Amino acid sequence: MGLRSRNDSLPDTKRFLARAKKNDRLAAWLINIGGLLVVISVIGILLLILKVAAPLFFTPDAALVSTTNLSGSAPEGKILNLGIDENLKTGFLISDQGTVTFFNPQNGAVSDTVTLSAPGDSNPGIAAITVAPDRHFDILWKDGSFSAVQIQLENNSDNQTAGQPAHEIETLTAEKRVESGPIPLLSLARFAEKDSPSRIDLLPGNRFIFSRKTTVTDLMGNETTTNTRTPFEAAIPGKITAVALDSKAEFLYAGTDTGHLLRWSLSEGESPQLLDSVQTSAKGSPVTALNLVLGDISIAVGNADGSFSTWFPASETGLGSSKVLTRIHPLTSHGSAVTAILPSPRNKSLYSLDKSGSINVNHMTSERHLLTLKGKTPLVLFAVSPRDNGLIGLDAGNRISTWQVSNPHPEISFRTLFGPVWYENYDKPEYVWQSSSANDDFEPKLSLTPLIFGTLKGTLYAMIFAIPLALFGAIYTSQFMGPKMKKIVKPGIEIMAAIPSVVIGFLAGLWLAPLLDKGIVSVLVSVIVIPLSVLLSIVCWKKFRTKPLLKKISVGYEFLLLVPALLLGIYASHALGGVMETALFAGDFKLWLFDGFGARFDQRNSIIIAFALGLAVIPLIFTMAEDALSNVPKNLSAASLAIGASRWQTAWRVVLPSALPGIFSAVMIGFGRAIGETMIVLMATGNTPIINWSIFNGFRSLSANIAVEIPEAPVFGTLYRVLFLSAVLLFIFTFIINTVAEILRQNFRKKYGRF
Amino acid sequence: MSRFWKQGEPQVWGTAAALTITLLMVVTLISVVMLNGLGFFWPSDTALVSLKDGTTLLGEITDKEKATATQGVKLQFKVGNRDLYGQDFRWVDKKDVKSLSYPDNAIVLERKENGNFYGFLKSLSLNGAQTPASADPWEQLLSQWKSVKQAQHNLDGLRDKMSDLNSAAENLRLKILKLSYRDKTTNQKEIETLSVQQEKLLTEFNTLLDKLNSATAEINQSTALFQDASGEEKEIALTDIVRAFRPNTMGFFAKSAFYAGKVKELLVGEPRESNTEGGLFPAIFGTVMMVLFMSIFSLPFGVIAAIYLREYAKEGLLVRIVRIAVNNLAGVPSIVYGVFGLGFFIYGIGSGIDQLFYPERLPTPTFGTGGILWASLTLALLTVPVVIVSTEEGLASVPKGLRQGSLSLGATKFQTLVKIVLPMATPGIMTGMILAMARAAGEVAPLMLVGVVKLAPALPIDGQFPFFHLDRKFMHLGFHIFDVGFQSPNVEAAKPMVFVTTLLLLAIVITASSTAIHLRNKMKKKYATKAF
Repeated sequence: MGLRSRNDSLPDTKRFLARAKKNDRLAAWLINIGGLLVVISVIGILLLILKVAAPLFFTPDAALVSTTNLSGSAPEGKILNLGIDENLKTGFLISDQGTVTFFNPQNGAVSDTVTLSAPGDSNPGIAAITVAPDRHFDILWKDGSFSAVQIQLENNSDNQTAGQPAHEIETLTAEKRVESGPIPLLSLARFAEKDSPSRIDLLPGNRFIFSRKTTVTDLMGNETTTNTRTPFEAAIPGKITAVALDSKAEFLYAGTDTGHLLRWSLSEGESPQLLDSVQTSAKGSPVTALNLVLGDISIAVGNADGSFSTWFPASETGLGSSKVLTRIHPLTSHGSAVTAILPSPRNKSLYSLDKSGSINVNHMTSERHLLTLKGKTPLVLFAVSPRDNGLIGLDAGNRISTWQVSNPHPEISFRTLFGPVWYENYDKPEYVWQSSSANDDFEPKLSLTPLIFGTLKGTLYAMIFAIPLALFGAIYTSQFMGPKMKKIVKPGIEIMAAIPSVVIGFLAGLWLAPLLDKGIVSVLVSVIVIPLSVLLSIVCWKKFRTKPLLKKISVGYEFLLLVPALLLGIYASHALGGVMETALFAGDFKLWLFDGFGARFDQRNSIIIAFALGLAVIPLIFTMAEDALSNVPKNLSAASLAIGASRWQTAWRVVLPSALPGIFSAVMIGFGRAIGETMIVLMATGNTPIINWSIFNGFRSLSANIAVEIPEAPVFGTLYRVLFLSAVLLFIFTFIINTVAEILRQNFRKKYGRF
Repeated sequence: MSRFWKQGEPQVWGTAAALTITLLMVVTLISVVMLNGLGFFWPSDTALVSLKDGTTLLGEITDKEKATATQGVKLQFKVGNRDLYGQDFRWVDKKDVKSLSYPDNAIVLERKENGNFYGFLKSLSLNGAQTPASADPWEQLLSQWKSVKQAQHNLDGLRDKMSDLNSAAENLRLKILKLSYRDKTTNQKEIETLSVQQEKLLTEFNTLLDKLNSATAEINQSTALFQDASGEEKEIALTDIVRAFRPNTMGFFAKSAFYAGKVKELLVGEPRESNTEGGLFPAIFGTVMMVLFMSIFSLPFGVIAAIYLREYAKEGLLVRIVRIAVNNLAGVPSIVYGVFGLGFFIYGIGSGIDQLFYPERLPTPTFGTGGILWASLTLALLTVPVVIVSTEEGLASVPKGLRQGSLSLGATKFQTLVKIVLPMATPGIMTGMILAMARAAGEVAPLMLVGVVKLAPALPIDGQFPFFHLDRKFMHLGFHIFDVGFQSPNVEAAKPMVFVTTLLLLAIVITASSTAIHLRNKMKKKYATKAF
């Protein structure tokens, strides 16, 4: 405010000053907030991606929704089995009188009672019921006849207004008894094709009957039905106590009271073959429950001593040898005998009930004990809802309990993410990433180890290539190069840092990879030839350097004089490569590699990555290392030169040690960039998640994996969260590296007091 | 050992070699892109080859390769005619070639579908009637093609009208949806009037559509009959021809004009044939828009943070922590930003916006899916450190004396900052902004998660209200390279286009960053002497 208004407008000036001060305070406040916002965003990024990944490790939830007695027309007789729909709105009980009672599990109100039709004329009552997936019940009647029914509960939430939820009982097969003799203890039927049931009857004395009905339609459209019946006997000391059959009736499993587990293969036209007989318990504890895990590969075995495990055939000695049933996953033991095992209809979880009436929920692959469910009174029977979101249980007093279960990520444990896991159909525990497959009963293999390995492999090879070039280049530029050239070269390399990684990735994948595929031997040769050509040019230089003209141009321009030498070296390696391939590797290096070492050669391999990723990090390391070297005070090098040290001695012994922390931090920043680089790795490797160090193979890195898989991952599903977890890992890797590098650099700056 | 070795001269040469190798690699990279990218549009001569086994080929020689010592030289021909042969390229042993000529009447057609056609013109038929054989068919073809193009061009107005109608109808549909979502019974009347309007628009649309269809059908009747090298005939509608030329008759200037036309198409044209032909306009536009939106967010944030670090904060633990945070923001892999954008912006904020403001459209997401807004925000976060570092350099280069002078005259700190320091630090801020833009233009990985697509149906800005469509997906040059180069069905045919895109992206990024670096170096020089 001007002087002229001092007297007459003092309040104005005051107001102006007050406003200026206020603005100043406000601005200071805002700017401070803005500065802190940087810290907040870093922490925010970590926390928010962590928040998405965290539910992977939450323990599953189970809530007892209700416990009730049936009211109204409760079923008579003994309850043999039960079930519940996917909305936990309708349950049903099957009694030994042959009735199915539908009810509301919340209040026990009976809505409908249906009597099952027996294959015979009258209803003799049910002797035994076994349950197969999809609410398919195998019913053995007391007169020896057999029927299989499927109970459908259509319970769309849309037609709640229509009153009663619809239910339908479909009879899959009904067979009268055909032969005399003892009545079977148990009968199971499976339908590999509709209308062609395969059936197993267990008779007293460890005898089985395998019967199959096949219906063939010939060209004229006539159907012929053939029935084959094959009785066979299990020649074992004990008594069969549990039986399981897979859904295509290809394998029959049985457990005995001596603790043995038996496996037969059932195939058409041949008599069943006993494949395995293995002891499941060290103490010979009887097998009390058997069931197949979803996918029909693994079998879950429960013993009288409460031990619980899953088994599948695996060859112990490796390829080629025959496969033997092997205990794969020991799961949490029960306190008392396991009485029933049910598989989850959605994943590889298992529900098992013991004699004391409590249910354990385990996941097979992760061997994770998820839940223990106990009713108010011990349970004797239970069933799982089709969406795996609830359970219904029945106690000895016919009281019904319902649980709501939320178990979104059972397959994730620390070990399935990082450790070796024995997956189905594998011969030993392995680290595998295979997130999806065509079929639903697939066992997801979500080991991050091959991806972490791939990330480190790519980074390591790239750094081996990049560090020497970048650091030596930086030393030359900062110490020996003439100032005129430096003004061109340094910005040149800085501009190189701006080259988008997608450009480098594209050239590496579509231009360099095919080129290298043809001239791989030349590249290998060049590792020797190019240094040789440099050495040769140095020797030549020593001879000619005394020429006065050369002396003038040499100092500070060595790198330009080397261009022809290097081009010559490249040409020599190219020429030599062809000759060597014909001479040493019989004209085909890849074939030689495969025959000699069994090593595959991928076109997009780690050599490509070393070049491409190296090229991406060189400018970064170069620029920072050059800065560090240039910032070493000039008086140090001047003193060294003054006492007679050569320019190399000064650079190597004086400047370099002083700049070491800065150089180290440059290397770490480069390392951090290489770890997280996505596009180059995505485009220039085959993205196969394998674990090996071969430079002729590709890999899959954490970052490329995210880019490949996240568009396909269902939101908030397990894969989605695992990908977020890998982002968290990447964040933490780079956070540590960058923080250490920054602290080093801050100390370095403090030491030399600049910047 | 001589002094030469003892003094370490060889080591110096070794370090020089490291630098030379690095520079050679960069030069190679840039020249490969330049050679492949620049040459693509130059019309090369079309060779007629007859082979020893009696077959004849017509096409451009695109590659020569010496397979092994015994096999001799192989030639790669681009023979085009994908609809006839199934493949665009063919390898031929040089020793199988009986004769090779460049006939003047060889014609190359760029088509809307199925790639190039190489062959000879046989006859022309206009609106179903054969043209007299007396006139020069080539001249006739060109003039007819021009009139067909003109006729097509005249239909563009019709198309524009239709798209306006279409979007108006869509707006009405959404309005009705909203009203019926809120309360169907009270808004019944309004809904009915809107439905009537919608109905009217649709009938109008359909009349226009019929008009367009009949006009198009009429134009499509003009066809030309062509013949390939082996004599197989192919009838092609003139509307399907994008360009027709006889490369063997073209001189240098004709070729240059052709080249310029192709470059123009590249910059302003729409892509064709699943992005492997035609222009890059939507990708260029999308990239520019995204980068501009991004700067709106990242520039103020970066400048304020830099001012905090340089002018306001007192040296201490807190500043060290902020600096570490800045470095981490710069060092966190870009894909992590993409994951963050997906989880936070799209499924966090975006889904929230959808539930609050567009519940009637669910489950179709509006903001709950990738779009240009989320992409810009994600990249803004990614580029903030670039702005911070450059702005800090700019602030540091302002001599201390100037600040002290201002303060001693009684200005407040904020006044000093706004009136003295910031104007002088502008080159630094500019540098930061340009570098951030260059970085954002080249970044692809996070964009793949937050809204970039291979083919966007509409641009993020257009004539329809509200003009800026921040929820729209967009195309991007960098993603274009990845998508066309690695995910197109015919990679070999797509390669030239990828090289051209790469060249364009590289040119943009290198121009931007060299400007920024130049600016920065100039700034350093300007205040270098005054600083001490």
